Amino acid sequence: MRFATLLKHPADWMTGHGEETSVVLTSRVRLARNLSKSPFPGWSRKKDREGVYLSLREKLESVPGMKDGFSHELCDLDPLQKQVLVERHLISREQAARSEGSGSVVNRKQTLSLMINEEDHLRIQAIRPSLQLKDAFKLAHAVDQRLEKVVDFAIDPTLGYLTACPTNLGTGMRASSMLHLPGLVLSDQIGPVLKGINKLGLAVRGLYGEGTESLGNLFQISNQSTLGESEGEILDRLTKVISDVALYELQARKKLMTEDSIMVRDRIGRAAGNLSYAHIITSKEALNHLSMLRLGADLTLLPADLVESCDLLFMETQPAHLQWRAGRKLEPEARDMIRAQMIREQLQSSLPPAIDLSGKES
Amino acid sequence: MKCDSCQEKATVFYTQVTEGKLRKFVLCEACAQKKGITNVDDLLMGGDMLGNSPPQTKIQDLVAELNQEDCNACGFTLDDFRKVGRLGCPECYHVFSREIEERLPSMHKGGVHKGYLPEGVAMKQALKSELACLADKLESAIGDERFEDAAMIRDQICKIEKKKGVVEP
Repeated sequence: MRFATLLKHPADWMTGHGEETSVVLTSRVRLARNLSKSPFPGWSRKKDREGVYLSLREKLESVPGMKDGFSHELCDLDPLQKQVLVERHLISREQAARSEGSGSVVNRKQTLSLMINEEDHLRIQAIRPSLQLKDAFKLAHAVDQRLEKVVDFAIDPTLGYLTACPTNLGTGMRASSMLHLPGLVLSDQIGPVLKGINKLGLAVRGLYGEGTESLGNLFQISNQSTLGESEGEILDRLTKVISDVALYELQARKKLMTEDSIMVRDRIGRAAGNLSYAHIITSKEALNHLSMLRLGADLTLLPADLVESCDLLFMETQPAHLQWRAGRKLEPEARDMIRAQMIREQLQSSLPPAIDLSGKES
Repeated sequence: MKCDSCQEKATVFYTQVTEGKLRKFVLCEACAQKKGITNVDDLLMGGDMLGNSPPQTKIQDLVAELNQEDCNACGFTLDDFRKVGRLGCPECYHVFSREIEERLPSMHKGGVHKGYLPEGVAMKQALKSELACLADKLESAIGDERFEDAAMIRDQICKIEKKKGVVEP
Protein backbone atom coordinates (compact mmCIF):
# COMPACT_ATOMS: atom_id res chain seq x y z
CA MET A 1 0.00 0.00 0.00
CA ARG A 2 1.31 3.44 -0.89
CA PHE A 3 1.69 6.18 1.70
CA ALA A 4 -0.96 8.28 -0.08
CA THR A 5 -3.46 5.41 0.07
CA LEU A 6 -2.85 4.98 3.79
CA LEU A 7 -3.61 8.64 4.38
CA LYS A 8 -6.62 8.79 2.10
CA HIS A 9 -8.99 7.64 4.83
CA PRO A 10 -8.99 8.47 8.52
CA ALA A 11 -8.57 5.52 10.88
CA ASP A 12 -11.77 4.31 12.57
CA TRP A 13 -10.37 5.29 15.97
CA MET A 14 -9.84 8.88 14.77
CA THR A 15 -13.55 9.56 14.41
CA GLY A 16 -14.94 7.62 17.35
CA HIS A 17 -16.60 4.98 15.16
CA GLY A 18 -19.90 5.34 16.99
CA GLU A 19 -18.35 4.72 20.41
CA GLU A 20 -18.79 6.90 23.50
CA THR A 21 -15.84 9.28 23.17
CA SER A 22 -16.91 12.41 25.05
CA VAL A 23 -13.94 12.02 27.43
CA VAL A 24 -11.83 9.02 26.40
CA LEU A 25 -10.90 9.42 22.74
CA THR A 26 -8.67 6.42 22.08
CA SER A 27 -7.03 3.43 23.77
CA ARG A 28 -3.65 2.06 22.72
CA VAL A 29 -1.73 -1.03 23.78
CA ARG A 30 1.78 -1.86 22.68
CA LEU A 31 3.82 -4.97 23.34
CA ALA A 32 7.63 -4.87 23.19
CA ARG A 33 9.29 -8.03 21.86
CA ASN A 34 12.86 -8.95 20.96
CA LEU A 35 14.63 -11.75 19.15
CA SER A 36 16.59 -13.95 21.55
CA LYS A 37 19.81 -14.12 19.57
CA SER A 38 20.30 -10.56 18.30
CA PRO A 39 21.62 -7.43 20.00
CA PHE A 40 18.95 -4.79 20.67
CA PRO A 41 18.56 -2.20 17.85
CA GLY A 42 20.29 0.57 19.81
CA TRP A 43 23.43 -1.56 20.20
CA SER A 44 23.49 -3.48 16.93
CA ARG A 45 25.38 -2.89 13.71
CA LYS A 46 23.55 -1.73 10.62
CA LYS A 47 24.06 -5.16 9.04
CA ASP A 48 22.41 -6.90 12.03
CA ARG A 49 19.50 -4.48 12.01
CA GLU A 50 18.91 -5.00 8.30
CA GLY A 51 18.97 -8.77 8.84
CA VAL A 52 16.40 -8.50 11.65
CA TYR A 53 14.28 -6.14 9.54
CA LEU A 54 14.18 -8.46 6.53
CA SER A 55 13.38 -11.57 8.54
CA LEU A 56 10.70 -9.86 10.64
CA ARG A 57 9.10 -7.95 7.79
CA GLU A 58 8.28 -11.11 5.89
CA LYS A 59 6.68 -12.68 8.97
CA LEU A 60 4.71 -9.55 9.87
CA GLU A 61 3.34 -9.11 6.39
CA SER A 62 1.93 -12.63 6.51
CA VAL A 63 -0.11 -11.91 9.66
CA PRO A 64 -3.82 -11.90 8.68
CA GLY A 65 -5.03 -8.42 7.90
CA MET A 66 -1.52 -7.07 7.31
CA LYS A 67 -1.10 -8.50 3.83
CA ASP A 68 -2.49 -5.61 1.82
CA GLY A 69 -1.40 -3.03 4.39
CA PHE A 70 1.31 -0.40 4.44
CA SER A 71 4.86 -1.74 4.79
CA HIS A 72 7.95 0.41 4.33
CA GLU A 73 11.51 0.70 5.52
CA LEU A 74 11.94 4.09 7.19
CA CYS A 75 14.73 5.08 4.78
CA ASP A 76 12.12 4.96 1.97
CA LEU A 77 10.07 7.68 3.66
CA ASP A 78 10.93 11.38 3.63
CA PRO A 79 11.03 13.37 6.92
CA LEU A 80 7.55 14.78 6.28
CA GLN A 81 6.01 11.33 5.77
CA LYS A 82 7.68 10.09 8.95
CA GLN A 83 6.29 13.06 10.85
CA VAL A 84 2.79 12.34 9.53
CA LEU A 85 3.07 8.79 10.89
CA VAL A 86 4.20 10.19 14.27
CA GLU A 87 1.22 12.56 14.34
CA ARG A 88 -1.04 9.57 13.65
CA HIS A 89 0.67 7.62 16.44
CA LEU A 90 1.55 4.87 13.93
CA ILE A 91 5.28 5.17 14.63
CA SER A 92 7.00 6.70 17.65
CA ARG A 93 9.10 9.87 17.66
CA GLU A 94 12.09 7.68 18.44
CA GLN A 95 11.48 5.50 15.41
CA ALA A 96 11.07 8.51 13.12
CA ALA A 97 14.74 9.31 13.77
CA ARG A 98 15.76 5.93 12.32
CA SER A 99 16.19 4.92 8.70
CA GLU A 100 17.87 1.76 7.30
CA GLY A 101 16.82 -1.46 8.97
CA SER A 102 13.84 0.10 10.71
CA GLY A 103 10.37 -0.45 9.34
CA SER A 104 6.70 0.24 9.77
CA VAL A 105 3.95 -2.26 8.92
CA VAL A 106 0.39 -0.94 9.32
CA ASN A 107 -2.91 -2.60 8.44
CA ARG A 108 -5.40 -0.94 6.12
CA LYS A 109 -7.72 0.14 8.97
CA GLN A 110 -4.72 1.57 10.90
CA THR A 111 -5.78 -0.34 13.98
CA LEU A 112 -2.55 -2.36 14.08
CA SER A 113 0.88 -0.87 13.72
CA LEU A 114 4.00 -3.03 13.89
CA MET A 115 7.30 -1.23 14.40
CA ILE A 116 10.47 -3.08 13.47
CA ASN A 117 13.73 -2.00 15.12
CA GLU A 118 12.42 0.86 17.17
CA GLU A 119 13.94 0.72 20.68
CA ASP A 120 13.11 -3.00 20.61
CA HIS A 121 13.20 -5.39 17.65
CA LEU A 122 9.43 -5.40 17.48
CA ARG A 123 6.64 -3.35 18.91
CA ILE A 124 3.09 -4.51 18.31
CA GLN A 125 0.61 -1.66 18.75
CA ALA A 126 -3.17 -1.76 18.59
CA ILE A 127 -5.44 1.31 18.71
CA ARG A 128 -9.19 1.36 19.42
CA PRO A 129 -11.62 4.25 19.89
CA SER A 130 -12.94 5.18 23.39
CA LEU A 131 -12.00 3.29 26.57
CA GLN A 132 -11.35 -0.17 25.12
CA LEU A 133 -7.94 -1.10 26.49
CA LYS A 134 -8.86 -4.77 26.76
CA ASP A 135 -9.99 -4.90 23.13
CA ALA A 136 -6.78 -3.19 22.07
CA PHE A 137 -4.80 -5.75 24.08
CA LYS A 138 -6.71 -8.64 22.48
CA LEU A 139 -5.80 -7.33 19.03
CA ALA A 140 -2.10 -6.99 19.87
CA HIS A 141 -2.03 -10.29 21.76
CA ALA A 142 -3.47 -12.18 18.78
CA VAL A 143 -0.61 -10.90 16.61
CA ASP A 144 1.90 -11.76 19.34
CA GLN A 145 0.59 -15.32 19.65
CA ARG A 146 0.74 -15.81 15.93
CA LEU A 147 4.29 -14.51 15.69
CA GLU A 148 5.65 -16.52 18.62
CA LYS A 149 5.12 -19.68 16.53
CA VAL A 150 7.61 -18.47 13.93
CA VAL A 151 9.86 -16.08 15.88
CA ASP A 152 12.12 -17.02 18.81
CA PHE A 153 11.37 -14.19 21.26
CA ALA A 154 13.76 -13.38 24.14
CA ILE A 155 11.98 -14.61 27.28
CA ASP A 156 13.18 -15.35 30.78
CA PRO A 157 10.71 -17.38 32.89
CA THR A 158 11.32 -15.08 35.89
CA LEU A 159 11.73 -11.71 34.17
CA GLY A 160 9.28 -12.31 31.31
CA TYR A 161 9.90 -10.65 27.96
CA LEU A 162 13.39 -9.13 27.83
CA THR A 163 13.47 -5.58 26.48
CA ALA A 164 16.19 -3.08 25.57
CA CYS A 165 15.21 -0.93 28.54
CA PRO A 166 14.45 -2.63 31.88
CA THR A 167 11.50 -0.26 32.35
CA ASN A 168 9.57 -2.37 29.78
CA LEU A 169 10.57 -5.76 31.20
CA GLY A 170 8.05 -8.50 31.98
CA THR A 171 4.84 -8.08 30.03
CA GLY A 172 6.51 -5.55 27.71
CA MET A 173 3.09 -3.92 27.72
CA ARG A 174 2.39 -0.21 27.76
CA ALA A 175 -1.31 0.62 27.68
CA SER A 176 -2.57 4.19 27.39
CA SER A 177 -5.70 6.19 26.74
CA MET A 178 -6.06 9.70 25.36
CA LEU A 179 -8.46 11.81 27.44
CA HIS A 180 -10.08 15.15 26.69
CA LEU A 181 -10.34 16.98 30.02
CA PRO A 182 -11.53 20.57 29.42
CA GLY A 183 -13.91 20.47 32.40
CA LEU A 184 -11.15 19.65 34.89
CA VAL A 185 -8.86 22.28 33.32
CA LEU A 186 -11.53 25.05 33.33
CA SER A 187 -12.49 24.30 36.94
CA ASP A 188 -8.81 24.25 38.04
CA GLN A 189 -9.08 20.67 39.29
CA ILE A 190 -6.65 19.17 36.81
CA GLY A 191 -3.55 19.60 39.03
CA PRO A 192 -4.78 17.49 41.96
CA VAL A 193 -6.27 14.88 39.60
CA LEU A 194 -2.97 14.47 37.73
CA LYS A 195 -1.09 14.27 41.02
CA GLY A 196 -3.47 11.57 42.22
CA ILE A 197 -2.90 9.57 39.03
CA ASN A 198 0.87 9.81 39.51
CA LYS A 199 0.53 8.62 43.09
CA LEU A 200 -1.21 5.50 41.83
CA GLY A 201 1.94 4.64 39.87
CA LEU A 202 0.51 5.69 36.52
CA ALA A 203 2.02 8.21 34.11
CA VAL A 204 0.30 11.26 32.60
CA ARG A 205 1.73 12.78 29.45
CA GLY A 206 0.85 15.24 26.72
CA LEU A 207 -0.45 14.59 23.21
CA TYR A 208 2.65 12.89 21.81
CA GLY A 209 3.90 10.97 24.82
CA GLU A 210 6.93 11.34 27.00
CA GLY A 211 8.22 14.88 27.39
CA THR A 212 5.47 16.51 25.34
CA GLU A 213 3.30 19.36 26.49
CA SER A 214 -0.43 19.01 26.97
CA LEU A 215 -2.29 20.84 24.22
CA GLY A 216 -6.00 21.06 23.56
CA ASN A 217 -6.70 19.73 27.08
CA LEU A 218 -5.60 16.29 25.84
CA PHE A 219 -3.83 13.97 28.27
CA GLN A 220 -2.47 10.45 27.95
CA ILE A 221 -2.67 8.16 30.96
CA SER A 222 -0.55 4.98 30.91
CA ASN A 223 0.89 2.26 33.13
CA GLN A 224 4.50 2.62 34.27
CA SER A 225 5.15 -0.77 35.82
CA THR A 226 5.32 -3.70 33.41
CA LEU A 227 6.70 -6.40 35.74
CA GLY A 228 5.09 -8.08 38.76
CA GLU A 229 1.49 -7.89 37.56
CA SER A 230 -0.32 -9.76 34.80
CA GLU A 231 -1.58 -7.93 31.71
CA GLY A 232 -5.14 -8.33 33.01
CA GLU A 233 -4.29 -6.77 36.37
CA ILE A 234 -2.54 -3.82 34.73
CA LEU A 235 -5.42 -3.26 32.30
CA ASP A 236 -8.06 -3.54 35.06
CA ARG A 237 -6.25 -1.04 37.26
CA LEU A 238 -5.73 1.37 34.39
CA THR A 239 -9.33 1.04 33.16
CA LYS A 240 -10.63 1.70 36.68
CA VAL A 241 -8.51 4.86 37.10
CA ILE A 242 -9.37 6.16 33.62
CA SER A 243 -13.12 5.53 34.21
CA ASP A 244 -12.84 7.46 37.48
CA VAL A 245 -11.07 10.37 35.78
CA ALA A 246 -13.73 10.36 33.04
CA LEU A 247 -16.41 10.49 35.71
CA TYR A 248 -14.68 13.44 37.46
CA GLU A 249 -14.49 15.20 34.10
CA LEU A 250 -18.21 14.73 33.44
CA GLN A 251 -19.04 15.91 36.98
CA ALA A 252 -16.80 18.96 36.50
CA ARG A 253 -18.59 19.80 33.23
CA LYS A 254 -21.97 19.45 34.91
CA LYS A 255 -20.93 21.63 37.83
CA LEU A 256 -19.49 24.29 35.51
CA MET A 257 -22.78 24.37 33.60
CA THR A 258 -24.78 24.88 36.78
CA GLU A 259 -22.46 27.29 38.57
CA ASP A 260 -20.58 29.12 35.83
CA SER A 261 -22.48 28.44 32.66
CA ILE A 262 -21.87 31.94 31.28
CA MET A 263 -18.08 31.49 31.48
CA VAL A 264 -18.31 28.13 29.68
CA ARG A 265 -20.61 29.55 26.99
CA ASP A 266 -18.25 32.51 26.59
CA ARG A 267 -15.21 30.26 26.12
CA ILE A 268 -17.02 28.04 23.62
CA GLY A 269 -18.49 31.01 21.77
CA ARG A 270 -15.11 32.72 21.49
CA ALA A 271 -13.52 29.50 20.24
CA ALA A 272 -16.27 29.07 17.64
CA GLY A 273 -15.81 32.70 16.60
CA ASN A 274 -12.05 32.41 16.29
CA LEU A 275 -12.18 29.17 14.35
CA SER A 276 -14.94 30.41 12.03
CA TYR A 277 -13.26 33.68 11.17
CA ALA A 278 -9.51 33.35 11.77
CA HIS A 279 -7.28 33.59 8.68
CA ILE A 280 -4.01 32.86 10.50
CA ILE A 281 -3.94 30.27 13.27
CA THR A 282 -1.08 28.33 14.91
CA SER A 283 -1.34 24.63 15.67
CA LYS A 284 -1.41 25.33 19.41
CA GLU A 285 -4.16 27.94 19.15
CA ALA A 286 -6.20 25.69 16.87
CA LEU A 287 -5.95 22.73 19.26
CA ASN A 288 -7.05 24.85 22.22
CA HIS A 289 -10.05 26.33 20.36
CA LEU A 290 -11.00 22.95 18.87
CA SER A 291 -11.00 21.56 22.39
CA MET A 292 -13.57 24.19 23.43
CA LEU A 293 -15.64 23.57 20.31
CA ARG A 294 -15.69 19.84 21.03
CA LEU A 295 -16.76 20.59 24.59
CA GLY A 296 -19.59 22.74 23.19
CA ALA A 297 -20.77 19.86 21.00
CA ASP A 298 -20.47 17.36 23.89
CA LEU A 299 -22.58 19.69 26.06
CA THR A 300 -25.14 19.90 23.19
CA LEU A 301 -24.62 23.66 23.00
CA LEU A 302 -23.42 23.15 19.42
CA PRO A 303 -24.42 20.63 16.69
CA ALA A 304 -23.39 17.05 17.58
CA ASP A 305 -21.62 16.43 14.25
CA LEU A 306 -18.95 18.91 15.37
CA VAL A 307 -17.43 16.23 17.59
CA GLU A 308 -16.29 14.24 14.58
CA SER A 309 -15.17 17.40 12.76
CA CYS A 310 -13.07 18.42 15.78
CA ASP A 311 -11.48 14.97 16.09
CA LEU A 312 -10.55 15.00 12.41
CA LEU A 313 -9.20 18.54 12.65
CA PHE A 314 -7.16 17.65 15.77
CA MET A 315 -5.20 15.38 13.43
CA GLU A 316 -5.47 17.09 10.05
CA THR A 317 -4.31 20.50 11.28
CA GLN A 318 -1.06 19.11 12.73
CA PRO A 319 1.99 20.56 10.91
CA ALA A 320 3.02 17.44 8.98
CA HIS A 321 -0.52 16.45 7.97
CA LEU A 322 -1.09 19.98 6.74
CA GLN A 323 2.05 20.02 4.59
CA TRP A 324 1.32 16.56 3.25
CA ARG A 325 -2.15 17.70 2.13
CA ALA A 326 -0.64 20.85 0.58
CA GLY A 327 1.84 18.64 -1.28
CA ARG A 328 4.85 20.72 -0.27
CA LYS A 329 7.00 21.83 2.63
CA LEU A 330 5.60 25.06 4.11
CA GLU A 331 7.02 27.72 6.39
CA PRO A 332 5.12 28.10 9.69
CA GLU A 333 3.42 31.34 8.50
CA ALA A 334 2.06 29.65 5.39
CA ARG A 335 0.93 26.68 7.47
CA ASP A 336 -1.00 28.97 9.79
CA MET A 337 -2.93 30.43 6.84
CA ILE A 338 -3.74 27.05 5.30
CA ARG A 339 -4.73 25.70 8.72
CA ALA A 340 -7.18 28.57 9.26
CA GLN A 341 -8.67 28.02 5.81
CA MET A 342 -9.02 24.29 6.34
CA ILE A 343 -10.81 24.80 9.67
CA ARG A 344 -13.17 27.43 8.21
CA GLU A 345 -14.10 25.10 5.36
CA GLN A 346 -14.61 22.09 7.63
CA LEU A 347 -16.82 24.05 10.04
CA GLN A 348 -18.86 25.72 7.30
CA SER A 349 -21.60 23.10 7.27
CA SER A 350 -22.12 23.00 11.06
CA LEU A 351 -21.25 26.60 11.94
CA PRO A 352 -21.96 28.78 8.90
CA PRO A 353 -20.35 32.22 9.44
CA ALA A 354 -22.88 35.03 9.85
CA ILE A 355 -20.57 37.49 8.10
CA ASP A 356 -18.73 36.70 4.89
CA LEU A 357 -15.07 37.69 5.12
CA SER A 358 -13.86 35.58 2.23
CA GLY A 359 -13.42 38.64 0.05
CA LYS A 360 -15.18 36.91 -2.82
CA GLU A 361 -17.83 38.82 -4.77
CA SER A 362 -21.26 37.48 -3.92
CA MET B 1 35.79 4.65 49.82
CA LYS B 2 32.65 3.22 48.24
CA CYS B 3 31.68 -0.43 47.80
CA ASP B 4 32.31 -1.84 44.29
CA SER B 5 28.83 -3.34 44.33
CA CYS B 6 26.44 -0.82 45.80
CA GLN B 7 28.07 2.55 46.48
CA GLU B 8 27.70 2.13 50.25
CA LYS B 9 30.70 2.83 52.50
CA ALA B 10 33.26 0.05 52.04
CA THR B 11 34.58 -1.79 55.09
CA VAL B 12 35.92 -5.03 53.59
CA PHE B 13 39.13 -4.73 51.57
CA TYR B 14 40.29 -7.84 49.76
CA THR B 15 43.42 -8.27 47.66
CA GLN B 16 43.96 -11.39 45.62
CA VAL B 17 47.02 -12.53 43.68
CA THR B 18 46.25 -14.97 40.90
CA GLU B 19 48.80 -15.98 38.28
CA GLY B 20 50.98 -13.07 39.27
CA LYS B 21 48.13 -10.57 38.82
CA LEU B 22 47.10 -8.38 41.71
CA ARG B 23 43.39 -7.63 42.12
CA LYS B 24 41.78 -5.47 44.74
CA PHE B 25 38.13 -5.57 45.79
CA VAL B 26 36.41 -3.13 48.04
CA LEU B 27 33.04 -4.07 49.52
CA CYS B 28 30.62 -3.01 52.19
CA GLU B 29 29.82 -5.52 54.89
CA ALA B 30 26.40 -6.44 53.49
CA CYS B 31 27.75 -7.13 50.00
CA ALA B 32 30.70 -9.05 51.39
CA GLN B 33 28.30 -11.21 53.37
CA LYS B 34 26.15 -11.74 50.29
CA LYS B 35 29.24 -13.05 48.54
CA GLY B 36 29.92 -15.45 51.40
CA ILE B 37 32.82 -13.53 52.92
CA THR B 38 31.95 -13.43 56.59
CA ASN B 39 35.35 -13.28 58.18
CA VAL B 40 38.99 -13.34 57.25
CA ASP B 41 39.41 -16.95 58.35
CA ASP B 42 36.96 -18.09 55.69
CA LEU B 43 39.12 -16.49 53.08
CA LEU B 44 42.40 -17.72 54.44
CA MET B 45 41.29 -21.27 55.01
CA GLY B 46 39.46 -21.54 51.75
CA GLY B 47 39.43 -25.14 50.61
CA ASP B 48 42.97 -26.03 51.64
CA MET B 49 42.73 -26.57 55.34
CA LEU B 50 39.19 -27.79 55.73
CA GLY B 51 38.95 -29.57 52.44
CA ASN B 52 35.79 -27.54 51.85
CA SER B 53 35.24 -26.11 48.45
CA PRO B 54 32.30 -23.73 49.05
CA PRO B 55 34.21 -20.65 50.30
CA GLN B 56 36.76 -21.01 47.52
CA THR B 57 34.02 -21.28 44.89
CA LYS B 58 32.33 -18.23 46.29
CA ILE B 59 35.50 -16.22 46.09
CA GLN B 60 36.05 -17.35 42.54
CA ASP B 61 32.48 -16.38 41.69
CA LEU B 62 33.04 -13.02 43.27
CA VAL B 63 36.22 -12.48 41.29
CA ALA B 64 34.50 -13.51 38.09
CA GLU B 65 31.50 -11.30 38.82
CA LEU B 66 33.49 -8.23 39.67
CA ASN B 67 35.70 -8.71 36.64
CA GLN B 68 32.71 -9.27 34.41
CA GLU B 69 32.49 -5.88 32.82
CA ASP B 70 31.52 -6.95 29.31
CA CYS B 71 28.72 -9.10 27.97
CA ASN B 72 30.31 -11.97 26.07
CA ALA B 73 27.45 -12.08 23.60
CA CYS B 74 27.43 -8.43 22.52
CA GLY B 75 30.35 -6.58 24.15
CA PHE B 76 28.10 -4.20 26.12
CA THR B 77 29.68 -3.05 29.38
CA LEU B 78 28.29 -2.38 32.83
CA ASP B 79 29.52 1.16 32.39
CA ASP B 80 27.42 1.51 29.21
CA PHE B 81 24.37 0.34 31.13
CA ARG B 82 25.03 2.81 33.93
CA LYS B 83 25.34 5.61 31.38
CA VAL B 84 22.35 4.90 29.11
CA GLY B 85 20.05 2.77 31.27
CA ARG B 86 19.48 0.35 28.41
CA LEU B 87 21.05 -3.00 27.63
CA GLY B 88 22.92 -4.42 24.65
CA CYS B 89 21.20 -7.77 24.12
CA PRO B 90 18.96 -10.29 25.92
CA GLU B 91 22.05 -12.04 27.36
CA CYS B 92 23.02 -8.81 29.18
CA TYR B 93 20.16 -9.53 31.62
CA HIS B 94 22.12 -12.52 32.93
CA VAL B 95 25.54 -10.85 32.84
CA PHE B 96 24.46 -7.69 34.67
CA SER B 97 21.71 -9.35 36.71
CA ARG B 98 22.91 -7.96 40.03
CA GLU B 99 22.90 -4.35 38.86
CA ILE B 100 19.54 -4.78 37.11
CA GLU B 101 17.87 -6.47 40.07
CA GLU B 102 18.87 -3.56 42.29
CA ARG B 103 17.05 -1.16 39.99
CA LEU B 104 13.85 -3.15 39.44
CA PRO B 105 12.04 -2.17 42.67
CA SER B 106 12.09 1.50 41.68
CA MET B 107 10.62 0.70 38.25
CA HIS B 108 8.09 -2.05 38.79
CA LYS B 109 5.40 -3.40 41.12
CA GLY B 110 7.32 -6.65 41.56
CA GLY B 111 10.41 -8.51 40.47
CA VAL B 112 8.80 -11.63 39.03
CA HIS B 113 6.88 -11.88 35.78
CA LYS B 114 3.22 -12.75 36.33
CA GLY B 115 1.94 -12.12 32.84
CA TYR B 116 1.53 -14.15 29.70
CA LEU B 117 4.16 -16.70 28.68
CA PRO B 118 4.03 -18.81 25.52
CA GLU B 119 2.97 -22.40 26.21
CA GLY B 120 6.43 -23.99 25.97
CA VAL B 121 8.03 -21.45 28.32
CA ALA B 122 5.16 -21.69 30.82
CA MET B 123 5.41 -25.51 30.83
CA LYS B 124 9.17 -25.37 31.37
CA GLN B 125 8.66 -22.98 34.28
CA ALA B 126 5.99 -25.21 35.86
CA LEU B 127 8.26 -28.25 35.61
CA LYS B 128 11.13 -26.31 37.13
CA SER B 129 9.13 -25.33 40.20
CA GLU B 130 7.78 -28.90 40.53
CA LEU B 131 11.36 -30.19 40.45
CA ALA B 132 12.45 -27.73 43.13
CA CYS B 133 9.55 -28.83 45.33
CA LEU B 134 10.37 -32.53 44.86
CA ALA B 135 14.06 -31.92 45.60
CA ASP B 136 13.05 -30.44 48.97
CA LYS B 137 10.81 -33.45 49.68
CA LEU B 138 13.61 -35.83 48.71
CA GLU B 139 16.01 -34.14 51.08
CA SER B 140 13.63 -34.34 54.03
CA ALA B 141 12.74 -37.98 53.21
CA ILE B 142 16.44 -38.88 53.28
CA GLY B 143 16.92 -36.87 56.47
CA ASP B 144 14.05 -38.78 58.12
CA GLU B 145 15.44 -42.05 56.78
CA ARG B 146 12.20 -42.71 54.89
CA PHE B 147 14.07 -44.45 52.10
CA GLU B 148 11.04 -45.96 50.37
CA ASP B 149 9.51 -42.51 50.03
CA ALA B 150 12.85 -41.16 48.86
CA ALA B 151 13.03 -43.79 46.10
CA MET B 152 9.54 -42.89 44.93
CA ILE B 153 10.37 -39.20 44.89
CA ARG B 154 13.59 -39.92 43.00
CA ASP B 155 11.59 -41.80 40.33
CA GLN B 156 9.20 -38.86 40.05
CA ILE B 157 12.15 -36.51 39.58
CA CYS B 158 13.56 -38.76 36.85
CA LYS B 159 10.21 -38.72 35.04
CA ILE B 160 10.02 -34.93 35.15
CA GLU B 161 13.64 -34.56 34.03
CA LYS B 162 12.73 -36.66 31.00
CA LYS B 163 9.64 -34.53 30.31
CA LYS B 164 11.75 -31.41 30.68
CA GLY B 165 14.13 -32.81 28.09
CA VAL B 166 11.22 -33.01 25.65
CA VAL B 167 10.21 -29.41 26.32
CA GLU B 168 13.77 -28.17 26.27
CA PRO B 169 15.20 -29.18 22.91
